[in-house]
Amino acid sequence: MTDNEEALVLLIEDEAQIRRFLRAALGAHGYRLVESTTGEDGLVQAATRLPDLVIVDLGLPDLDGVDVIRKLREWASVPIIVLSARGQERDKITALDAGADDYVSKPFGVGELLARMRVALRHASSAKEPDQPTFTVGDLKVDLAHRKVFTGDKEVHLTPIEFKLLTTLVRYAGKVLTHRQLLKEVWGPPYADQAHYLRVYMAQLRRKLEADPARPRYFLTEPGVGYRLASE
Amino acid sequence: MCQKNVKRVPLDPRGCWETREGWAVAIAFCLPDNGPMTKGESCVSSHVSPLPADWAGYGLAVMVVSLCTAVSWAIHSHLELSNIIMVYLLGVVGVSAWTSRGPSLLASVLSVLAFDFFFVPPYLSFTVLDSQYLITFAVMLVVALVISTLADRIRRQAEAARAAQVSAETERLRNALLSSVSHDLRTPLASITGSASSLLESGEHLDAVTRRELLQAIHEEADRLNRLVQDLLEMTRLESGAVIVRREWHPIEELVGAALGRLGKRLGARPVLTRIPADLPLVPLDGVLIEQLLINLIDNALKYTPETSPIEIAAFGDDDGVMVEVADRGPGLPPGDERRVFDKLYRGQAKAGRGSGLGLAICRGIVEAHGGRIWAENRSEGGVAFRFTLPVKETPPSIPPGDD
Repeated sequence: MTDNEEALVLLIEDEAQIRRFLRAALGAHGYRLVESTTGEDGLVQAATRLPDLVIVDLGLPDLDGVDVIRKLREWASVPIIVLSARGQERDKITALDAGADDYVSKPFGVGELLARMRVALRHASSAKEPDQPTFTVGDLKVDLAHRKVFTGDKEVHLTPIEFKLLTTLVRYAGKVLTHRQLLKEVWGPPYADQAHYLRVYMAQLRRKLEADPARPRYFLTEPGVGYRLASE
Repeated sequence: MCQKNVKRVPLDPRGCWETREGWAVAIAFCLPDNGPMTKGESCVSSHVSPLPADWAGYGLAVMVVSLCTAVSWAIHSHLELSNIIMVYLLGVVGVSAWTSRGPSLLASVLSVLAFDFFFVPPYLSFTVLDSQYLITFAVMLVVALVISTLADRIRRQAEAARAAQVSAETERLRNALLSSVSHDLRTPLASITGSASSLLESGEHLDAVTRRELLQAIHEEADRLNRLVQDLLEMTRLESGAVIVRREWHPIEELVGAALGRLGKRLGARPVLTRIPADLPLVPLDGVLIEQLLINLIDNALKYTPETSPIEIAAFGDDDGVMVEVADRGPGLPPGDERRVFDKLYRGQAKAGRGSGLGLAICRGIVEAHGGRIWAENRSEGGVAFRFTLPVKETPPSIPPGDD
């Protein structure tokens, strides 16, 4: 909690109890909070207060949360985190494809939300800086400049597509990516619906880079939604 | 059976609770339509004996009367006219037994007409020379009508009896579920309320360790409550047919990994051995549902076996699809329970806390929605193995050629 302190967070959520606990939890971690109970008001607040991060509930009384995201994305690149219910995988995908950065499913622990917020804020600030030449998490080290991948001290050979998939995940490390987003980035837009390509290559990456591919430590699956590369 | 009958329930604030999507969790599944909370069509209609549809019934009536006429014609030289009437009446009885009232009435009228046309002189004419035959016709018609009415009444009574039986069974199930669910909901709620009120009312007199214990209890019990509500929602969705199976080609290994990841802390230091061949084919399945199924099976093993006892997960492929196994080294199932474990509300002797009693029933629902089969077997070396199959009927999609 260093560079995130003092960050201004806009919370668009109609349920008072959820706002109450988030007010306490985020305040305790040094965030400043602006609250909004409707989508329309949230959009106004976003334009006037220019928050560093927006948290939006998908089930708002006036506007659909996804519409709020679309309207925000017309002019703002501020990171957006969605609050949704478990079992609403389709809604999560729609929200993410509409431009949300990440989601947490209700009920959630505050630790999970804070982790997502940290990742989103980090990506927002690093977008202005040049890419880091290496990425490290646990035993996994990716040398982007020299196109080399290591687990521990051992170099691992990857195919071009495997490497492209890995570097895409690294670029968004810690953040969820939908199948569609990954397929478009790695294979190109015509392949956006070929989710099985992605699953097969993900399995190959796990077999090469995970100690136990059936209990992945780095390449995490978000069933029905997409994948996330662990960053902590 | 009566699965189709669970509807999105009208929201009664006293009787059920509602989620964001406007879903009410019917506390009972399979509620009969006279239940206080459903507005479905009758549960009973699907249990009625297979009656031919209307037009088929009328067709049958015509066919039977034609058959009676043909038989009577073939042997009429050896029969008295009164016995020919018997042949027709037999036909009417048959039609009444198999169809509804309309076709029986048609059979009665057609029988009288055919009898007159073919067997009463002058033959092949509706004209009647001897007027006493008019009495014969009238009596024959009345008898035929009485037969069809009686047959219809008997059938309705039989249906009502069957319906009453189904409804009593549904009622019994609903009561069991209600009492079980209300107990399961109240227990975590009681400890949450108790812990939270202790903290609020006398927090300043409690030492830090106690305060933390109470907070821990609130967190854990809320988690348990959440799982219970999830189970109830999932079961209701499966039983009402609201679950849409979105099949996509998945590697089994990924779903096992996702399930183990989601169980996270609940696995503790438990050894988990996985045996999934690298060349196992992709399987068309709904990733979200199958992940849930695996979580429920693994969670079940966690509940019923000692904390250090290993859990083994394996997958096998053959021409028809794949079989996945979640096995443990626990005490195994009591004889005869191999099937009952998949029943709603069935609970074994769990060492730690009660589950919802729905976990394995949900597993069965998910596997059946995929056209597969699930069963449990005690292992000869000790412990129990839960196995399920997922059929693969289509050819797996092509994968882009190797790129190395």
